[in-house]
Amino acid sequence: MITNMIGVIIRKELRAALVSPKFVASFGVCALLMLLSTFVGIREFQASREQYEAAQRLNEQEMREQTAWGRLGTRVFRAPDPLQIFASGLQNDIGRWSSVDAFNPVKLKNSVYSDDPVFAVFRFIDLAFIVQIVLTLMALVYTYDAVNGERESGTLQLTFANPVPRHVYILGKAVGAWLALIVPLFVPLLMSLGLLSVFDILLSAEHWLRIAIMMGASLALVSVFIMSGVLVSALTSRSSVSFLVCLVGWVVTALLIPRAGMMTAGYLVAVPTAAETDSRLDGFSKERWNVHMKELGERWRARNEQLTGKTEEERRAEREAKEWDWMEEDDRSRKQVQRDIDEYATRLREDVRNRKLEQERLGFTLARFSPVAAFQLALMNLAGTDMGMKARFEDALTEYRKTFNTYRDAKVKESGTFGGIRISFDSQRGMKIEQGREETLDLAEMPRFSDPRVPLRDAFSAALVDIGLLVGAALLACAAAVAAFLRYDVR
Amino acid sequence: MNATQPAPMLEARGLVKRYEDGVLALDLVSFAVRAGEIYAMLGANGAGKTTTINIFLNFVEPTEGEALVDGIVTHKDPLAAKERLAYVSENVMLYPNFTAIQNLEFFARLAGKTEVTRDECRDVLRRVGLQDDAHAKRLKGFSKGMRQKCGIAIAILKDAPAILLDEPTSGLDPKAGFEFLNLLAILRSEGKAILMSTHDIFRAKEIADTVGIMSAGRLALQRPASELAGQDLEQLYLQHMAGHVERAA
Repeated sequence: MITNMIGVIIRKELRAALVSPKFVASFGVCALLMLLSTFVGIREFQASREQYEAAQRLNEQEMREQTAWGRLGTRVFRAPDPLQIFASGLQNDIGRWSSVDAFNPVKLKNSVYSDDPVFAVFRFIDLAFIVQIVLTLMALVYTYDAVNGERESGTLQLTFANPVPRHVYILGKAVGAWLALIVPLFVPLLMSLGLLSVFDILLSAEHWLRIAIMMGASLALVSVFIMSGVLVSALTSRSSVSFLVCLVGWVVTALLIPRAGMMTAGYLVAVPTAAETDSRLDGFSKERWNVHMKELGERWRARNEQLTGKTEEERRAEREAKEWDWMEEDDRSRKQVQRDIDEYATRLREDVRNRKLEQERLGFTLARFSPVAAFQLALMNLAGTDMGMKARFEDALTEYRKTFNTYRDAKVKESGTFGGIRISFDSQRGMKIEQGREETLDLAEMPRFSDPRVPLRDAFSAALVDIGLLVGAALLACAAAVAAFLRYDVR
Repeated sequence: MNATQPAPMLEARGLVKRYEDGVLALDLVSFAVRAGEIYAMLGANGAGKTTTINIFLNFVEPTEGEALVDGIVTHKDPLAAKERLAYVSENVMLYPNFTAIQNLEFFARLAGKTEVTRDECRDVLRRVGLQDDAHAKRLKGFSKGMRQKCGIAIAILKDAPAILLDEPTSGLDPKAGFEFLNLLAILRSEGKAILMSTHDIFRAKEIADTVGIMSAGRLALQRPASELAGQDLEQLYLQHMAGHVERAA
């Protein structure tokens, strides 16, 4: 009986929604935005994939042309991922490549937004944005007058002249609105997914699974706003009042709380800016190299002093005999300097990261009071474009740099030549420059960088808290709506 | 209970309703309506007619006393009571974007008539006098009279043993009012217990089996309509209205 009644109310709601102008408007807006955003996202993805492949090819070409193991360096590029089409997250904010060599710490450079600042002003519209802004607003438009609108039009009285339990009515209303909103969400989404195959964007099974979970999170967010709309409608007697309350509530939850949360965290936990960090690192680096150069100079002075009082022939012979040891000693000293700088950079990064983590944790905790922020965090985790993206890449790059440098050092040792330029001065023969071997390097065994992908299980675990919050908020709003309607005067 | 009389289908037992602001809307109102009877509640605005109906519908709870539908106390088991009640308001409001048939289907199914067919809906709409060409039209273009007919059709389709009518003829043209009374007579002959609130003393006298005059929340007068035949009902009504106005002042 109750199931039948819920079915009757749901069908009526669905029918009423489908013939209403708001359905046509929401479907039109969602279809247009989703198809447009997917199309733009696909083009962006294709462009970044082509750019990535071209940069990879060029880098390999340059490496193949290198002749000295000692000078061997490479560049690592961040591979684009098709999920960025749906939830770009920080994808466009962080750099796309980093150089990897013996001398410089890794650093991601040239983000999309730094290359094309116009995109930073008008950020990409993706599925996450459409759900967060458009669909949540639509959910409120569908439900702000769910109860009080029926009271105003007089149909609520006639409805409750029948044996309709109040909780059944509220649930039927909510589910009806939910189903009516699913059409503008899922039909354009399916069309958007169809666009992927039209443009030959291949998705793995894991990608599909991630998209499915993202859809689940979208439904949870839409449910929160549908139930909130019904709740406000059951708490107010006039639809004009509930519309205003819903609008203000939307502005607060969708726009204000996420930003206010992060701003508050920013005030409470100070994190040095990238420029401050770079400047500290540069300062340390300069100082360390200055000390090294001073020591090097003193070392050479000491070496030359050992040669004083000897004939030119003896000096040359001794230099020839000790040259390799001296070079190795200098190289050890240089490596030590580099190690010191690397360690300092690691410590600095670690400190910044810890502060950032603390700030993020606080900011996210505060922002999560908004379901929109929780949804955004869940989607970014699922798409792998989350806040940890940069750190994950830099960690992987740092690890790769170690492996790469170990490989390069082994090759230097194996080849017996550092590959540097040897410049010698002779009072009789003048300056002599020796470049060493000319043949190119065999890079077949060179370690390759692999993108640090977050396994689905970890991504899901990270998103679970936020999805759980959304489901909890939806259930809470539902319970509150039922409780409010139990006391509602239907006359 | 009288052994020859059936149990009342609708019964008010000492109903008192005092609102939170202290207004006494009903003061010890008692009456009974049996199957096959029409009870007309007459009274000025604010006399307590709609409050009485709202208590039967459990839209408001009585402060004291109880309203019973087929022996079921409405505020204790409202859903069971509503299964036995049909209701037509003064100004029937339905879904304007639905057709007359869609509105009938929806409310019939809400009432538990899940198997109702479109043909049944059409038959009932014809019975209440709604033209065939209006059946599949959306209600947004309907006049008040047409909407009232739809409301009555909904009540008939529910096939409840008791019917509550709150000023059902208000705003209807004379022809529609006459048709409505005929329809009520048919429903009475089918054994429905009908409680009707109205301002229309002439129609009330014409159709009702019992007439109750309400004044300032009290049932000032309750007589079988047959006993009022020789009296001047209008005179009685005005007399009680005058009392109502004095008390209100």
